[in-house]
Amino acid sequence: MDPGAYRAGRAAAGGPAVAHARWANLAANVVGFCRLLRARGLAVGPQEAADALRALVSVDVGDRREVYLALRAVLASGQDAQQIFDEAFWQYWGPRPEPDLLPAPAQEGTLVLDARQALDRVLLEWQDATEAEDDGEGERLPAYSPVEALTRKDFSTFTPDELNEMARIVAAIARRVATRLSRRTRRSARGHLVDLRRTMRHSLRRGGEILEILRRERKVQKSRIVLLCDVSGSMDLYSRFLIQFVYALQHATGRVETFVFSTSLSRITGQLAHEDLRAALDAVARQVPDWSGGTKIGRSLRDFLDHYGALLDRRTVVIIISDGWDTGDVDVLEAAMDELHRRAAKVIWLNPLLASPGYEPICQGMRVALPYVDVFAPAHNLESLRRLERYLGTRR
Amino acid sequence: MHSEIKRIQELLAGQGYVADRAIATSVYLSIALRKPLLIEGAAGVGKTEVAKVMARSLGTDLIRLQCYEGLDATTALYEWNYQRQLLHIRLSENSDRTIEEREAEIFSEPFLLKRPLLDAITRDVAPVLLVDEIDRADIEFEAFLLEVLSDFQVTIPEIGTIRASATPYVVLTSNRTRELGDALRRRCLYLWIDYPSFEKELEIVRRKVPDVDTRLAEQIAAFMQLVRRVKLEKTPGVAETLDWTAALLALHREHLDRDTVEETLGVLFKHQDDAALIRTQWLDRLLDGVATLERDGRPWTQERIAQVAQRLEARR
Repeated sequence: MDPGAYRAGRAAAGGPAVAHARWANLAANVVGFCRLLRARGLAVGPQEAADALRALVSVDVGDRREVYLALRAVLASGQDAQQIFDEAFWQYWGPRPEPDLLPAPAQEGTLVLDARQALDRVLLEWQDATEAEDDGEGERLPAYSPVEALTRKDFSTFTPDELNEMARIVAAIARRVATRLSRRTRRSARGHLVDLRRTMRHSLRRGGEILEILRRERKVQKSRIVLLCDVSGSMDLYSRFLIQFVYALQHATGRVETFVFSTSLSRITGQLAHEDLRAALDAVARQVPDWSGGTKIGRSLRDFLDHYGALLDRRTVVIIISDGWDTGDVDVLEAAMDELHRRAAKVIWLNPLLASPGYEPICQGMRVALPYVDVFAPAHNLESLRRLERYLGTRR
Repeated sequence: MHSEIKRIQELLAGQGYVADRAIATSVYLSIALRKPLLIEGAAGVGKTEVAKVMARSLGTDLIRLQCYEGLDATTALYEWNYQRQLLHIRLSENSDRTIEEREAEIFSEPFLLKRPLLDAITRDVAPVLLVDEIDRADIEFEAFLLEVLSDFQVTIPEIGTIRASATPYVVLTSNRTRELGDALRRRCLYLWIDYPSFEKELEIVRRKVPDVDTRLAEQIAAFMQLVRRVKLEKTPGVAETLDWTAALLALHREHLDRDTVEETLGVLFKHQDDAALIRTQWLDRLLDGVATLERDGRPWTQERIAQVAQRLEARR
């Protein structure tokens, strides 16, 4: 099957002029549609728009079902994305037809498509459009992670008996999260992987005798983690467990800095360094003056940026653990989030409430912060903590 | 329907693969646009099968790269044939060539072992490259794969850059154990394969196990539809349906009854807990559902089965 052959046989009836007009119309519509998808958070750029048009050249544009399938394959690259796509598609291109009315074959013969020209035009239109709307619709949309149904046990429902077991599991997860090794390797005198390529080359210089085996080792991924944990009253249920997680995480790797905040910020990396968890928690309790008080997220983040900003670089993953209930100034919060987002490699916001059925990030603090968050994920049970691992790469 | 999509559907059907329109369209577009096709869906819905039948219907080879945690470039791309290099060094011991010359010699193409990726881009006829379960590989490997898929060229320090002579057709599959990077997603066309509808599953059963009695096939397909509504550790896929059908055939059963199903639960469920849950809590209700369908008469449709399933769930 020659892919080139797909385009053969399509040049048929219908004058080129008519076809062009129709195609331009369709192309413009596709661009409009792409823009709609982008506004709804799908990663659809000029490349995708161009692919969408190439796809339409290849299918029967008179058949709406086919257009739908083709555009979906090109523009919605994920299951969640497909849901968004579905909704947008029927909205944009008219209501969903009854299933048995679906195959409405092309009545007007085929179109003569000069795909290249159409593409050029559309790309131009696209560029104009992006420039015009950059300050409005074109804003960054947060990367929501899928929320799974609340089937597993919530932290808040644990009985005291289960706590010891939980602490053990939490520590195991934290260790795994923290010691994630990079798969790239580097030369090393004592590594456990044999570097055959270098060994071979080395031995040539000794007449082909392998006298020395050269080794490699895996590079440890050197991303630093900064944890900012909300310990205000509204987080009471969760923070006891989350602090354990944070403690375990910090003990599993040396590259974690931990802060807690409610109305003000405290650095507790030192306190958590205690070998004994209980002693560590005592030390934290003594250090933090307003445990279980109100929350001023914005001011706390600003504090962090002003005093500990040096911890941030392009390899730092910032994890904020909070329900987003903020009693402070919203503008301060937004400015601080913006700066965090710009200076850190990635900002992850773990929200214990996120897994509650029907929860929407409507409280003001959360709403303002969201656009600057790369990953917005639940943290209400062990499963959600376990899934943290996948977010910890430093690339955005 | 576009004639080529129809043709692909027929080609796939000719290979025993029942492809709905979404699958056929995606396969066609991936061939026509020469873009990799990323297929996601639960285990056992036939993701890998798409690549296999694609290769067969295109009349080309299938090259498979199975991903796993820790998979790295040497295993995926190329490796030097060290034994052969050693031997060569030994054999050329008394030659008067310089070390540099001998080095260039042993790090040349005859000593190169091609792994799937390099193999895929150096074929004269474009093969289908199946990157299976990409979600199991690490993020670093995903980035590396992205590089290869963008340029279809590979640089080997000792030899130079090797460019693809024919761009392979690429199919990636993922079970969603980890979120894939956006960059990779954007490189690909996307296809989500769900568990099949009753009609589709029935057709698959009849096509793959032609000896099966029509009524039994219907009962099996209906039972599968119902059982997938139960929340299980591992929901049985099409592969399980086919195994089960074969098992029932081997036992000479003509219809589903309690004993028969109980005897063969192990074929359908790979988790002890799932089998126990079905046996103790669901089996009677599921068989009841099938019996209801029998009573109401044929033809059975997805819609009818959904109604029955709803009634079963309401009775919990």
